Amino acid sequence: MEPKETVDELKSILVTRLKFEPRRAAEITLDTPLPKGVEGSIGLDSLDFIELSLAIEERFGVVLDESQDLVKHFATIDSLSRFIAAQAGGS
Amino acid sequence: MSVAGTRRVAITGCGTVNAAFVGGVPELSTYLEHPESRVRAEPSTEPGLVASVDDRALDGLTDAGDQRRVSRISRFAIAAARLALADADAPPEDLSLVVGTELGDLRSTKEFANGFLERGPTGLSALLFPNTVMNTMAAATAIAVQARAATLTLNAPVVAGELAIARAAAGIAAGRFELALAGGVDQIEPITELAAGGEARGEGATFLVLEPLEKARQRGARVFGEITGWGWRALNAPPCGVGRAEPPRAALLALERAGLAGDAVRWVYDSATLDRERDDWERALLDVAFPHHPRRVSLGRWLGRHGGLGALSVAGAAWSACAGRLPALGGAMSADRGVGLVHGVARGGTHVALVVGAPLP
Amino acid sequence: MIRTVVTGLGVTSPFGAGTKAFWTGVAGGTCAIRPITLLDTDGFRCRIAAEVPADALAGSPRRSRADRLALAAAREAIADSGLARADCRDAGLVIGAVGGGMFEAEKWYWARTRGGAPVDAASSLRAVLPFSHAETLGKALSLGGPRETVVAACSSGAVSLALARDLIEDGLATVVVAGGADSVTRICYMGFNALRLLDPEPCRPFDRERRGMSIGEGAAFLVLEDAEHARARGAYVYAELSGYGITTDAFHPTSPHPEGDGMVRAMRGALSDAGIGPAEVGYVNAHGTGTPQNDRVEARAIARVFETGEPLVSATKSMIGHTMAAAGSLETVATILAIVEGVVPPTANLCAADPDVTFDCVPGTARTAAIDCAISNSFGFGGQNVTLVFRRS
Repeated sequence: MEPKETVDELKSILVTRLKFEPRRAAEITLDTPLPKGVEGSIGLDSLDFIELSLAIEERFGVVLDESQDLVKHFATIDSLSRFIAAQAGGS
Repeated sequence: MSVAGTRRVAITGCGTVNAAFVGGVPELSTYLEHPESRVRAEPSTEPGLVASVDDRALDGLTDAGDQRRVSRISRFAIAAARLALADADAPPEDLSLVVGTELGDLRSTKEFANGFLERGPTGLSALLFPNTVMNTMAAATAIAVQARAATLTLNAPVVAGELAIARAAAGIAAGRFELALAGGVDQIEPITELAAGGEARGEGATFLVLEPLEKARQRGARVFGEITGWGWRALNAPPCGVGRAEPPRAALLALERAGLAGDAVRWVYDSATLDRERDDWERALLDVAFPHHPRRVSLGRWLGRHGGLGALSVAGAAWSACAGRLPALGGAMSADRGVGLVHGVARGGTHVALVVGAPLP
Repeated sequence: MIRTVVTGLGVTSPFGAGTKAFWTGVAGGTCAIRPITLLDTDGFRCRIAAEVPADALAGSPRRSRADRLALAAAREAIADSGLARADCRDAGLVIGAVGGGMFEAEKWYWARTRGGAPVDAASSLRAVLPFSHAETLGKALSLGGPRETVVAACSSGAVSLALARDLIEDGLATVVVAGGADSVTRICYMGFNALRLLDPEPCRPFDRERRGMSIGEGAAFLVLEDAEHARARGAYVYAELSGYGITTDAFHPTSPHPEGDGMVRAMRGALSDAGIGPAEVGYVNAHGTGTPQNDRVEARAIARVFETGEPLVSATKSMIGHTMAAAGSLETVATILAIVEGVVPPTANLCAADPDVTFDCVPGTARTAAIDCAISNSFGFGGQNVTLVFRRS
């Protein structure tokens, strides 16, 4: 999958699974912080990240191993799509 | 008058979202002066008779933070709770919450199940799962208004809202609760197989603010009414069926607590909802206890059956007690001065009654 | 002042029918969490649960599974109390429920959505809502007093007992049958699986290596009674329900307050309601689900409340899993019997306690101990906290 497609899929997940307004999701850039508590972020908390993990597993076939430290991968759309590409490429 | 050693129960606020109007006591008074029925057939979307809430009515009542993960039924509850607290001008300290509901968030439950059925384990939604437990509306409302004392969700057919008010009133009187939001919420969910006897189904949420009368007066609150009696029992009836004409024990208990005889009841806000068989049973029960046939108001016929109706009926009875008027299609009529009874009975026998009056000194 | 005492117990548990089987199981430290049979768990990380054996269900197979669990337990409790039929006529009924008849409704919905053998809608859906247990039991046992169903997620069973005590103390009922019931359901199992909260192995509450919950099912009912009424009829009294505390975190839909603020307030409120101090509590039956989060927060909350005093603490869920709406009342039975029998049931599956655990959590083997006062915690999903206090009568 091309990087742009991955980003579009992730934004679509934000709408369909995480219930963001489509307009809001369209405004999100590659570098918009995702986790709550970071300035300018879209405010995702632990429950949102579980939902995101499920959706990523469904859309990309990538299973996220909780024993790994995934926090840095979930920082922005950019870091997440790179992570997904690396996982998918490696399998 | 009150039972020795217990506190008097004041109603200091009301907040409601229903098919006809949204707001607090002023909006309630306006509606009750000239009520309109919102019950209609909508065959393209729902079987049977319904009274639906227009979602635009929620605009401005819930904020963006509430919108994303909170389901529609929970947004009803949050909106009504906020309206009630604002109406009462009550600081939310030591706040308890008692919520009655008949169906809960069935819509989310179906959506959750569909996710799995259509797409397997990864189609499950972690965000939806908490909504599949019926206390989700109370949990979301507690977060929104910071209710950190006791939170209770009571599930009953037809009378969940009345039951919630009765529980909260008992809690205030006994000193278990200092300030309570009590009422109920429901959302129309077309599970035709569950429909009983042709009732009109409604949706929305209504909460009352209840507090000890003395405290309310101390803080200069507007006291809208007083709940002086409550009772709840189970009458003998088969599950989903109706019973026979017999003394309505919950009503008699409520009157006993209020220290009143039957003839003190000048009007009744009942739980009629166009389920003919159940409505007839309720009428028969009331005739046994009140041979003087007090006038009856049935908000369910105008706004449909839902968990918010009980609190709305109590608010209506309080309005009637203070204003001396009874709502009727075509314009309110004058009513005898006195107390009102709020009465509810469900198929299967769950039975609740409350005595509501204007606060005496 | 009216006091509330417990005069009857009834249990349907993963150990089988009856209070005796339950107590033998938990006091023996036996783990009843096994490979699941009631559901298809293809594709799930976790495939175990604590199921009730088929022969422990009461009533007709046409009833919902949860109704049958409840009926068996309620019948035993009433028989155990020795209450006359006349006392039942005005007896109250307060039930804690979450799933209701969802197990049967799911079968219908699955068949309707996926095709396959058609399942009758009416019979599958009649009992789907939580209040149906109260209708079924109320009718079957002729209970005509106040009737309520409370839904408080994992705390439902405990809240039902608190509400029952209110009825008695307010003089609204002299006798109340109260407790919780829940059966395994696909929605519950799949949901906790989706939230990554289930341990693929039997749960290990308070263990350093714990990874999550185990799902269970069951029912437990208690007969609560005005102490004076019980004394007058010469009833056997198990214990007194001398206080409770109910609080709400109002923090997050699924995570507890990180400092356990609501848990601390519930425990302190309960002790205050009972008029006792922490040093008087000999045993804490913990909520102890085995999730990393709950156990850490609960352990710290217990340490804060019991700065003075060193109660024994154990987690019954290590043996019966998390029985949802039944948990609060099943674990209450264990708590009461600990007082009566002088034996504290253990925390099973415990190899090495988490560093946050500063108390003795009775690993593996039951402990003989004279307990005069014990508390039971139910800290429901998303911050519904209930603590009940029981005293030797």
